[in-house]
Amino acid sequence: MKALLRILALAGKEIVEVFRRPGAVLSLVLGPFLILAVFGFGYHGVRRELQAILVVAPTSGLPTTAEGYKTFETRGVTLVDVVQDRAAAEQRLRTDEIDLVIIAPSDPQASFKDGRHSELTVEINVSDPVQANYAGFLAETLAADVNAEIYRLGVAAGEGYVLKIAGEELANIPAEVIASPTRAVTINLAPSEPGIVAFYGPAALALVLQHMAVTLLALSIVRERTSGAMELFRVSPLRATELVIGKVLAFGLLGSFLAAVSMALLIGVLGVPMLSQPVTVAGVVALLLLASLGLGLLISAVSDSERQAVQLSLLALLASMFFSGFVLRIDEFERPVQIAAYALPVTHGISLLQDLLLRGAITHPWQVGALAVLAAVLLLSSWALLRRDLRPS
Amino acid sequence: MRGRSEPAIRSVLLPPEPARRCDIPGSAISAEGLTRTFDELVAVSDLNLEVPTGSIVGLIGPSGSGKTTTIRMLIGSLEPSAGRLRVLGDDPARLKTRTRERIGYMPQGFARYADLTAAENVDFAASLYGLLLFRRRRRRRAVLELLDLWGVRNRRAGRLSGGMKRRLDLACALVHEPELLVLDEPTAGIDPILRRTVWDELHRLRDGGVTALVTTQYVTEAEECDVVALLSGGRLIGFAPPEELRRQALGGEILEVAARDVFDAATLDQLPFVRGTHQTGLREFQVVVDDAATATLNLVSAIEAVGGEVVSVGTFHPTFDDVFATLIKHDEEVRAAAPAGEPTPEPARALAAQPAPARALAAQPAPAQARPAEAEADPAAPEAAAAAEVPSAPDGPPQAPPDQPGAR
Repeated sequence: MKALLRILALAGKEIVEVFRRPGAVLSLVLGPFLILAVFGFGYHGVRRELQAILVVAPTSGLPTTAEGYKTFETRGVTLVDVVQDRAAAEQRLRTDEIDLVIIAPSDPQASFKDGRHSELTVEINVSDPVQANYAGFLAETLAADVNAEIYRLGVAAGEGYVLKIAGEELANIPAEVIASPTRAVTINLAPSEPGIVAFYGPAALALVLQHMAVTLLALSIVRERTSGAMELFRVSPLRATELVIGKVLAFGLLGSFLAAVSMALLIGVLGVPMLSQPVTVAGVVALLLLASLGLGLLISAVSDSERQAVQLSLLALLASMFFSGFVLRIDEFERPVQIAAYALPVTHGISLLQDLLLRGAITHPWQVGALAVLAAVLLLSSWALLRRDLRPS
Repeated sequence: MRGRSEPAIRSVLLPPEPARRCDIPGSAISAEGLTRTFDELVAVSDLNLEVPTGSIVGLIGPSGSGKTTTIRMLIGSLEPSAGRLRVLGDDPARLKTRTRERIGYMPQGFARYADLTAAENVDFAASLYGLLLFRRRRRRRAVLELLDLWGVRNRRAGRLSGGMKRRLDLACALVHEPELLVLDEPTAGIDPILRRTVWDELHRLRDGGVTALVTTQYVTEAEECDVVALLSGGRLIGFAPPEELRRQALGGEILEVAARDVFDAATLDQLPFVRGTHQTGLREFQVVVDDAATATLNLVSAIEAVGGEVVSVGTFHPTFDDVFATLIKHDEEVRAAAPAGEPTPEPARALAAQPAPARALAAQPAPAQARPAEAEADPAAPEAAAAAEVPSAPDGPPQAPPDQPGAR
């Protein structure tokens, strides 16, 4: 009986303690709910149509303007242009302006006569193995659609070149060529084609770095506030600027050490390629750490207990998992959610680290600027809040 | 008072001399009408205080009397709701960096880093105050040795005992050789021998010109201070050297007399040097006089003149626990007697004006003997009421008696 009393007393005390911190309860209950609500309303789950350019050689006998392909429909692909210059189209692919370059066979009629498949080359530029598979699948679908189109055009012409040719040399044309005059060949222009582990390695590193920086820094400051050390700082000559720089320096160095070790393991053990200059990668890691430490400082400034700081840090991690592009592509979210996702340092960190390690170059240089702006805004705002913290209440 | 306190007493009672290390002439801390409220609660009310440079001032009062709130305002952690406050010449809410470097603060709770060793904690505190490597090492060793922590300097602070943690806090407050020390219960949880060491060190620092404002839960430690500020209910109800406070509580000095035969102490009431009498037994009684040293012989002669014979006579020294309890109780009585809306009288002055508390002190168990029934009556009540009518100074805060230079 007495044991039960003690257990109930303990349980009661814990519950009362939790509810005495309305902010903590709010973030505990509403935080995950809000993130899931944003996810539910913001995620449409429909893959964006891939933007494609069709390259048609003048000798192919195929239409060379977009007008000729008005009726062409392949699920998942939107034909945005028809050009003759393959190099220009590939340049647009490299800058991520488009997703696919479809190169029509140069002389499908001759190939058919020779009993050969015409090759429909589909060029992509993705490091993500899942995306690469998807593009390959689309290329196959595309080839099937082209074949169907050829038959349709033949039938529409009355007898079509297939029938005409068949009267002459059908016996020399293999059955599979007759059945499928065109076949797809997928070429990935990306400098490396990593496996799943190698592809997600840099993303996981970015996520770990952000979470480490946010949690350690937020807890460090909240602990100082609750232990009374902040009051000692208030009396001492320490300025808010010095406090912020000191904290950022300490956890920045720790984060850099962690990043260096993790990077060595990723490259050495997991076989993640390192296609960029290490100094560029270090620069991006430094920016990611700065922005993440700014986020940690901000969390510490609004938390009144360690419990709340931990909760907010975990919510930041949860939001990062959902919205940063770590698991789900950002373009599969509604626009407002995409904008919110870009307010997370890790969103840019993942993209930039994957670019640098797997492709050797940054696809979207604006993300470097965005990360720098995020770092500056977060650090300055948390500095202002901590400055207030060091003033008399 | 103790011999070693004399320099400080001089600094309290005489016009201040230029301090060797503090360039603020006169007062290290100056508060005028200092008030702090938390919503409806008035934590500190209209506090007037001058802490003389180079002295130890004890801030003493019961729990919830406003000691820590006052301390937190002094160090710039809390902003006053009203009043004017200067610490080393600066407004604590906007202390200059150089002024901060001259203040050492020890909070009530342990606020150091559990995962750092004792030496690392001191080192960190020294670094915050800008001590460079060699001075830092020297000072670290000095304070750790002084507080008997050198032997555990490599032990993590989290593994130190409660007393050691307090000493570590103190070491961190002392390491940068501040001119003003604000110590919130520095001796709490420390054994008596180390308490003695701490106070000796504070006296040594004081003799070197350092000013210390100290709160303590050990009322007896009031005797270690040069001046005691007694707080109750957020108000300053006494500000004087400890002996003076004792006198205020007693209404003077008390001689305890034992006669050979039954003696009625009331027969002495008319003597010019007697401020009051109190019968504590058939043959025993107490006499309140202005100065025990000069009054003793006169008192013995007066008793013999009316046919009495003195067996023993001595000075009654109540403990500071009793002194403060009496002063606080008396203040409560004065406040209760004051008409609603009327300002209550300046406490120290009101106390000095009448001997009423002497009776309360005499009633304490330690000194009191069997008392006659008639001594239970409270003839001082009308005096207390009269004291309650003593008005404040016409303009500004109430004035303290001339021998209380700090209180205004």
